[in-house]
Amino acid sequence: MKKVLALRVLIVTLLRELADENAYRRHLTAHGLVHSSEEWRKFADERFRTKYMRAKCC
Amino acid sequence: MANATSTQVAAPPRFKTILGYLLWAVVAIAAALCLAAIALNRGERINSAWLVLAAACTYALGYRFYAKFIAARVMALDNQRATPAERLENGHDFEPTNKWILFGHHFAAIAGPGPLVGPVLAAQFGYLPGTLWIIAGAVLGGAVQDFVILFASMRRDGKSLGQMAREEIGKLGGFVALLTVLLIMIILLAVVALVVVNALAGSPWGTFTIAATMPIAVFMGWYLRYRRPGKVLECSVIGFLLVVAAIFGGQWVAQSSVWAPVFTLSTVALAFCIITYGFLASALPVWLLLAPRDYLSTFVKLGVIFLLAVGIIFVRPELELPAFTRFTDGTGPIFAGKIFPFCFITIACGAISGFHSLISSGTTPKMIAKEQHAWPVGYGSMLLESFVAVMAMIAACVMHPGVYFAVNSPAGIVGATPAAAVATISSWGFPVSVAEMQELARGVGERTLFYRTGGAPSLALGMAHIFARSGGGQAVIGFWYHFAIMFEALFILTIIDAGTRVGRFMLQDLLGHVHPALGRTSWMPGVIATSCAVVLGWGYFLYQGVRDPLGGINSLWPLFGIANQLLAAIALCVATTILVKMHRTRYVWITGLPLVWLVTVTFTAAWQKIFSPMPRIGFLAQVDQLQAALRSGTITGAQIGPTQTLIFNARLDAVLCGVFLVLVAVILVDSARIWAGILRGTRESSVAEAPFVLSRLEAEQT
Repeated sequence: MKKVLALRVLIVTLLRELADENAYRRHLTAHGLVHSSEEWRKFADERFRTKYMRAKCC
Repeated sequence: MANATSTQVAAPPRFKTILGYLLWAVVAIAAALCLAAIALNRGERINSAWLVLAAACTYALGYRFYAKFIAARVMALDNQRATPAERLENGHDFEPTNKWILFGHHFAAIAGPGPLVGPVLAAQFGYLPGTLWIIAGAVLGGAVQDFVILFASMRRDGKSLGQMAREEIGKLGGFVALLTVLLIMIILLAVVALVVVNALAGSPWGTFTIAATMPIAVFMGWYLRYRRPGKVLECSVIGFLLVVAAIFGGQWVAQSSVWAPVFTLSTVALAFCIITYGFLASALPVWLLLAPRDYLSTFVKLGVIFLLAVGIIFVRPELELPAFTRFTDGTGPIFAGKIFPFCFITIACGAISGFHSLISSGTTPKMIAKEQHAWPVGYGSMLLESFVAVMAMIAACVMHPGVYFAVNSPAGIVGATPAAAVATISSWGFPVSVAEMQELARGVGERTLFYRTGGAPSLALGMAHIFARSGGGQAVIGFWYHFAIMFEALFILTIIDAGTRVGRFMLQDLLGHVHPALGRTSWMPGVIATSCAVVLGWGYFLYQGVRDPLGGINSLWPLFGIANQLLAAIALCVATTILVKMHRTRYVWITGLPLVWLVTVTFTAAWQKIFSPMPRIGFLAQVDQLQAALRSGTITGAQIGPTQTLIFNARLDAVLCGVFLVLVAVILVDSARIWAGILRGTRESSVAEAPFVLSRLEAEQT
């Protein structure tokens, strides 16, 4: 049961990582900020700017 | 007493070691038996479980022994050494990440349409050549390349392949690497766009579904930015439900006498739609279309790959295609050319892909918490990608051979009418009838499945077959077919818009040296001009593909395969140079042998594509044939113009192929000069690694 739970946590964490939600949380923590619409937009703009300067794989 | 205790404590590890040896011996025997079963079987249908087991056991052995050897002896991975993620942690790019999370992240980044489409096309040789290449190529080449480049980038603060080429080989190497990537990007975008065009041509169901993903993505972008900022998973779930609804809506559209004609588009019309889309998507704000579609396509991609794996293991379908077909002689209808070298360039991404080296020197090295994690992330992710390619091969081979060739062969080869096509294909020894094809098309809600080249429709058919057998049967096969088409088109379109944007940045980077304003990403005229240049670049090749009477895949996919593998050759040149500089000369065969193989394969393929006397293979022979037809007067009137365009296109393809060869030859010679200098002692052997810093993370754990 513990292993199933651990797997569930791993999958959810992976999904949050792929969704950039974890990166956003880290961004808030690192800069001592709280979530707001404006903060998300600032974060997303910077995140997308760097993310889509790199090639996507074929 | 102390001795007795220590003996008692020591016993279990010895037992474990023996058990471990036995276990690995069993895995090795199983791998050998499964490989022998698929390699030696002739004349009988084989169950796909043999392919799955052969791949899984070989991957396990490669991962456990070969990758461990590389990690320990060649790279000397050291967890005491702080990674860039730890040293440069900034809450953005540099972030120590759980290795399995990073594994998933890296796999999601490297998994594109290549490992799905390439094996489907290469199945024209039969299931065996492609399957063996996928397994062996990944274990000995592709995974090694990804692993070594990831290691090298990790030791250099996450530097890109271009930066490493510049630092380790020289300025010329860096410039050539950048130029090669840009040219490959152009071909890649054209070929994946062609796959989508061929999948959607004459299909109102598919076209509506894909068209609907655009407003859905815009809605997601708005929702994420203004309605529920930061709730990406929630937004993606809503987007997924809307896309599924669009698939059902597509069925309604296909059955509507009013709407079906609106969404029934020709290949040329679809090509122009995608070219326009590519330009708009690269110019629009990223948050509005690209980013939400990218999130959605990532989740759908991972979900479908997981579903396909479960489906294959659950259904264990039998392969209908033989081990070898008659087309090993190079006369294949999908693309011309013999197994060597064309099987090895058709399947790039599932075995070895140069593009992976861009990902391995991109985000991933900045997120590795400990050096040892490069082993599962770099090597392991590629093995999983290779497994995806094996699954695609299975999905292609579960179809009846006649159906497979009827779907994938262009009209220019098999005949312009269904009756002519089935007659030609049946004469090859693969019986198929018009009625069978009509029944199949009706089952999946399409008007016809003839001439659906590009690999996507046949992959979708194979996947739908497997999914339907897992549950629901023939009643749901139409849904699954269009779900698979949606899945393929969704992430191909993401590659097109992201790739156009990346191509624009690269072009700006290059042109910035000529005219600084063009290099500024904030200067709108420069942005528009470079976006147009990139879109026109891949758009031209796409248009060329859809107008090609032999099917654009015949000329463009080999070109893409050659380009992708040449990029892998560049990555392996960089990797070999780094190993030589690290004084690991006796291990250079690890990257050197795949490099020699790739150079042999790609140079042979490129040479044949340019100079082969067979018009279906050699671009110049095609030019001669068309010119002769013009001179003899067999082509007249309105056909003269298009024929002259075909002549120009063949010459252009030949020149591009030649440019690829020259660029990679330059890097090879430049690298060989450095290797020789270091080995002779006439050149300093200094690596550009970041200095050693003791890991705080490792110290805290120990």
